[in-house]
Amino acid sequence: MSTANNCNVPEELYYVVQEHVWVRPEDDGTITIGMTDAAQNLAGSIVTATPKGAGKSVKKGKSSGTVESGKWVGPIKSPVDGEIVAANEAVVANPKLLNEDPYGAGWFVKIRPSNWAADKAGMVTGAQAVADYEAFLKAQGIDCAK
Amino acid sequence: MKTIRVLDMGLVPPLRSQAIYHGVAYAMTPETPDTIILVSPDAPYACIGYHQELEKEVDTAYCAEQGLPIYRREVGGGAVYLDSDQLFTQWVFQRNRLPLDLERRFALYIQPLVETYQELGINATLRPVNDIHVNGRKIGGTGAAQMGSADVVVGSLMFDFNFALMARVLKVPSEKMRDKIIQSLNEYMTTMRRELGEAPDRAQVTRAYMRHCAEALGAPLEIQEPTARELEVTEEIEARFLSDEWRYMKGGLRQSGAVKIHADVYLLEAAHKAPGGLIRATARLREGRIDDLTLSGDFTMLPAFAVGALEQAMRGVSLEPAAVLARVGEFYASMNAQSPGVSAEDWTAAIMALKAQAPQ
Repeated sequence: MSTANNCNVPEELYYVVQEHVWVRPEDDGTITIGMTDAAQNLAGSIVTATPKGAGKSVKKGKSSGTVESGKWVGPIKSPVDGEIVAANEAVVANPKLLNEDPYGAGWFVKIRPSNWAADKAGMVTGAQAVADYEAFLKAQGIDCAK
Repeated sequence: MKTIRVLDMGLVPPLRSQAIYHGVAYAMTPETPDTIILVSPDAPYACIGYHQELEKEVDTAYCAEQGLPIYRREVGGGAVYLDSDQLFTQWVFQRNRLPLDLERRFALYIQPLVETYQELGINATLRPVNDIHVNGRKIGGTGAAQMGSADVVVGSLMFDFNFALMARVLKVPSEKMRDKIIQSLNEYMTTMRRELGEAPDRAQVTRAYMRHCAEALGAPLEIQEPTARELEVTEEIEARFLSDEWRYMKGGLRQSGAVKIHADVYLLEAAHKAPGGLIRATARLREGRIDDLTLSGDFTMLPAFAVGALEQAMRGVSLEPAAVLARVGEFYASMNAQSPGVSAEDWTAAIMALKAQAPQ
């Protein structure tokens, strides 16, 4: 897996780098989103995950729910306008999944975007994503090995 | 938005519970993160609004007898009784980071408070401009101020409230009036204990509040510690809050009605109830013109020094409604002052109420 400052950054995903959010377009037109490896590293051991429920509409840049560690509470910002179609009940029951498998079992919510083509334009993917993320993490002084 | 710092101070002495947000605000530099302070006093005390006159609002003899300290905050609003059953939620943000319009600023500040109550099963709603209501009853109050380069908004989560002591620390004209105040507080105020049958767990409420702040502000919150400089400034603020000069600010003329100084000079005092609070006007009138004016009360005005500027601006104005309203209007036009629920007409009404006291 490709890395940026020792944080995992899978090239097949899309990213909103500044928000530490990853996006995976699904075959059914929905997207799956989650917090990146860098984000879970910053947050530390996560104790509570509170994704918004299915049926809730979300705006791009607004919260799709929150995650909490001992000293930290943060929103996971929706990368698109749309409607939440599923919340990951597994992370509600076991928030540690967000730390252990941020790109897999630790996904956060699935959203049906209202305009994926337009919102996708603001994201990065592939080698570009890794380069951009690396630059951002360096600027912020974030390193997952620390 | 960058990470918001949370200072979870726990229980601290009464003086510190007021001074801390002033200290963090006045110590603010461009590098200081926006900060939310969570704190409760470890003992009861009385606290008066920035524009209030201490001896008019609080029963100082009773407070002295009970060892209850009285502190003036640098935020408007009224006199309140405070103790460990309230968790203060004090926002100290970089100037212009919060909405400029005060009504919108209060709405943002109140949102996580309302959502925290709702999560606990309490039917709380925002009642503009800056109150939170539960089925018609008020649950806590809020206030805003500018300090140094910071915008400050304060309020609380009400676990429980001692209505009788609140009524006891207030200065009232009679004991009968005090009974009426207790009755009114009981009727028109509520708390988490009252709504839920018992006060909820503090740590649980704190976590819920932080989560709703992260949602409302769209930024992560992280618990950190205050800096040495912030604590140093807080101590300086504490010294100021203990000084008589600060405590008795706005004091001076204590008589009611009119006092004749000589044939053409009178001291007058009057009050007017505006939607945004009670305005007390105390003036020296010389040959029908305002020679000196003090405006006090539980209103909110930003920036706070605008009240002093308004007092100054009224000097020399003839005590006639048109002249007073015109000058107040000029003041608002020349200064970017905000006073929710207190209009130019309200200031004019308070000042013109003086005329009713003046000998004809």
